[in-house]
Amino acid sequence: MSNLQRQSPRDLEAARAPRAWLGALGGVGLLALSLVFIWGGIGLGLGAPRRLGTGAFPVITGCALAALSVAIIVIDLRDTSAAERPDWMSFAAIGAALAAFAIVADWFGLIPAVFATTVVASLPDPTLPILGKLILGLVVSLGCWGLFIGLLDLPLQAFKGF
Amino acid sequence: MDILSNFGDGLLIALQPYNLLYCFIGVFLGTFIGVLPGIGSMAAISMILPLTFYLEPTSALVMIAGVYYGAEYGGSIASILMNIPGTPSSSITCIDGYPMARDGRAGVALFASAIASFGGGIIGMVVMALLAPVLAALALNFGPTEYFAVILLGLVAASAVSNGSPVKGVATVVAGLMLGTIGVDITTGAERFTMGIPELRDGVNLVIVAMGLFGVGELIVSIRANSGGAPKNRIDYANFYPNRAEWKAMFGPILRGGGIGSFFGALPGTGQTVASAIAYAVEKKLSPNRGRFGKGAIEGVAVPESANNSATQTAFIPTLTLGVPGSASMALVIGALMIHGVTPGPRLLIDHADLFWGLVASFLVGNLLLLVLNIPMIGLWVRLLQIPYKYMYPTIIVLICIGVYSVNNNVFDIWLTLAFGWAGYLMRLFRFEPAPLLIGFVLGPMMEEQLRRAMLLSRGDPTVFLTRPISGVLIMITAALLVYSFGAALKSRRHARQSARLTH
Amino acid sequence: MKLSRILALPAVTLMATTALADPGAWSDAPVRIVVTFPPGGTSDLVARIVAQHLESDYGQKAVVDNRPGAGGTVAADYVAQQPADGTTLILGNNAPFTIAPTQFDSLPYAPLDGFTHIAYLGASTPALFVQPDAGITTLDQFIATANETGITYGSSGVGSITHILGQAVDNALDIETIHVPYQGSAPAIQDFRAGVLDSYYDMLAQNEDLIAEGATLPLALAAPERAPLFPDLPTFRELGYDVVIENWTGLSGPAGMDPAMVTTIHDSVEAIMADPEVVAQMAQWGIRHTAMTSAQFTDFVAQTIDLWRPLIDAANVNGG
Repeated sequence: MSNLQRQSPRDLEAARAPRAWLGALGGVGLLALSLVFIWGGIGLGLGAPRRLGTGAFPVITGCALAALSVAIIVIDLRDTSAAERPDWMSFAAIGAALAAFAIVADWFGLIPAVFATTVVASLPDPTLPILGKLILGLVVSLGCWGLFIGLLDLPLQAFKGF
Repeated sequence: MDILSNFGDGLLIALQPYNLLYCFIGVFLGTFIGVLPGIGSMAAISMILPLTFYLEPTSALVMIAGVYYGAEYGGSIASILMNIPGTPSSSITCIDGYPMARDGRAGVALFASAIASFGGGIIGMVVMALLAPVLAALALNFGPTEYFAVILLGLVAASAVSNGSPVKGVATVVAGLMLGTIGVDITTGAERFTMGIPELRDGVNLVIVAMGLFGVGELIVSIRANSGGAPKNRIDYANFYPNRAEWKAMFGPILRGGGIGSFFGALPGTGQTVASAIAYAVEKKLSPNRGRFGKGAIEGVAVPESANNSATQTAFIPTLTLGVPGSASMALVIGALMIHGVTPGPRLLIDHADLFWGLVASFLVGNLLLLVLNIPMIGLWVRLLQIPYKYMYPTIIVLICIGVYSVNNNVFDIWLTLAFGWAGYLMRLFRFEPAPLLIGFVLGPMMEEQLRRAMLLSRGDPTVFLTRPISGVLIMITAALLVYSFGAALKSRRHARQSARLTH
Repeated sequence: MKLSRILALPAVTLMATTALADPGAWSDAPVRIVVTFPPGGTSDLVARIVAQHLESDYGQKAVVDNRPGAGGTVAADYVAQQPADGTTLILGNNAPFTIAPTQFDSLPYAPLDGFTHIAYLGASTPALFVQPDAGITTLDQFIATANETGITYGSSGVGSITHILGQAVDNALDIETIHVPYQGSAPAIQDFRAGVLDSYYDMLAQNEDLIAEGATLPLALAAPERAPLFPDLPTFRELGYDVVIENWTGLSGPAGMDPAMVTTIHDSVEAIMADPEVVAQMAQWGIRHTAMTSAQFTDFVAQTIDLWRPLIDAANVNGG
């Protein structure tokens, strides 16, 4: 992706030389996934050519993917260009933001969930003080309330459990 | 001349003030809702459906059609500005549109998308006016074998849209096919890979996959890339008008995209996705500028938008003349007609000629309205990018959450989006592109359904794919495309190795 | 002001409806009618007609809430869990109430005890259709062809009512046809017209145009009596085969609703179904209304579950 190649200088300095085998992990992941589908597909039954079984398509695609993943692992192991340095902080923060939405929306409704998600998502940004994060959360919540509940009338519960 | 006079009558109907008003409401509402991630034409049409019960059938159809292609256009705005595709076909617009936006050329990209949509829409309209009965007959010649072959072609084209290694492109398409098998097997009713979770019985919703892989995955990348503080997009508000070279570059792709799109649009279900993928793949092979594809080529925005929008128009052909809706949105169109006692089917063209021609003419009017409405808006949309990212990204994540949540009103979908978002980020780390996966995911279930049906009807004889003429030709084209892309990749690698050896 | 309301303004002024003052409303909160299908199908349209009439006749705000998924079981499960105060109703049909209980090993809701079955709306009838140029014009020829060369039939899905009907016909006629499932009847008919399918089962009314055009030929109707639209089409029963499978629909609510409220809703629905405009619309969609009390409707659901159980088991609808 183009934006990965366009990182700020600070990031480029911080980028460590990658170990080659790490780059092949993607292929390994795909291989594992394909094995799950092949194994599961066989369990579901392959059927006959005339009446292909429930598991036939997962097994066919799984086998194709397994072969391709092996090729990808080989290609990636020979690839010596610099890999990206993962940003686990943002990875975790965005995950937490989605989790916050799921939990809060279930218990308290949409608008509290929007507030929680906004605040959690903005946590990794050091330039915004905590008060700013809370204000941002409030502004986004009010905006979403007006837009999705007030104007568009989506069938979502704005508040619940109060 | 028959067609011209019919079209003239249709234009008179479409230009009646109240039809004009409903057309305007339709395209405006469609664009507005299409921009919101995850809330597409389906939601927009459901919203206005009760209202259409009170309207004349033609007005109702004109408005629904306006919402439909307005939402398609709105979806491309979200794709270009935020890399969040609303539909699988706009995921192809993302490939070049988003890099353009990051280069500070968001305005040009949005303009190109508007112009290409308009061009594609007009081509689709002309094709519909001239060839509706022919295309309907063509769709009737497509049995399971033919659909399978078309989908296969679309998938190979989808693997060729990726800019990394072709092996990875094919692998992501296949991974998409595989993930598409999650849920109840529609041919036998057995559950597959649902792990006993009832929410997975109907499979993973497309919106979740798109929002996760694209939207969430991209956000994780962008937070650090934008953390410098100052927005790095040097945007000149006034400059969204393409220069002469860009106009010239767009012209051919719009025509070809529109042609490919209007042909495939007539095939229910597969149309728009397959059309955009094939049009992009074809353009990538033909264009003199092919090296810039994937890095912000204006052709790469124009071609899928044109193909997609012309397919959007011709998708009305099977819906109206065969009563076969290709998508949930098209099913709503049928519903809106049924409540007025208009049954879509072969007799619609004859019994309700005014309705059909009013609709065709409204495409012209609606696409013009869309253009007039949206060109002044481009400056406004581009200004959104000026908002500091620290305020933007929490807002985008909220929009994604609401979009996903609104689909089924179920927080389980949010957890799934989280999983797909993390997967999308990891894919980017390992240099896999999400667009082929999304296309595989959408086409996979259709492909499996048609494959199994074809095998059942041929009593287990796989040669039927080669012996039926239409599918035989399509399979040949597919094989040629596949051989060609791998050949080209091998050649370019050999070149690269040779030049590397020379420099050492 | 909601966007949908603003948009509705010009249309509502055209309509010039006046809401009567609240003669029989059963709740102050808006009523939601949950539909097991996405918007646009006949079922959805029926629900919207009911909602619209409740709104204009009774001053009762009523909205349609589409909750499609998993053969209607998502919607049924949802409604079963709502408070039984009359604000959440479901437009039920065979899928979640009379097929799913047999089709699935475990259901999250009880089709009888988990609901208050309020009012029966009506049923539409499927028929058997064959290729008009295949030389099959009677059920006997159909049986003969099935035994000699084999016959494929398209249904609107595994476990759908047309699949159950296919199984019922196979049982009654003592033949074995090849089932080809589709997702809805429209794609099945498309393949039928492309010539790849020998026959299909679908609702009779929806095929009116195709029959008129000579593109399809109905052989027999799965109703207890002939259809007014096609008085020449015999029923399976008349031909000596006891096959009656109808696509019923009715209004239900969560278990434990107040009996007085049930009566109010039931009577409102009966009044709506007697409205001349509604009668005409239902006739066009081929939906035949029969008056039933709430108790009769509940018995009907229970009996249909038992009646269809052997067919659903024989059709092997869960891939086992």
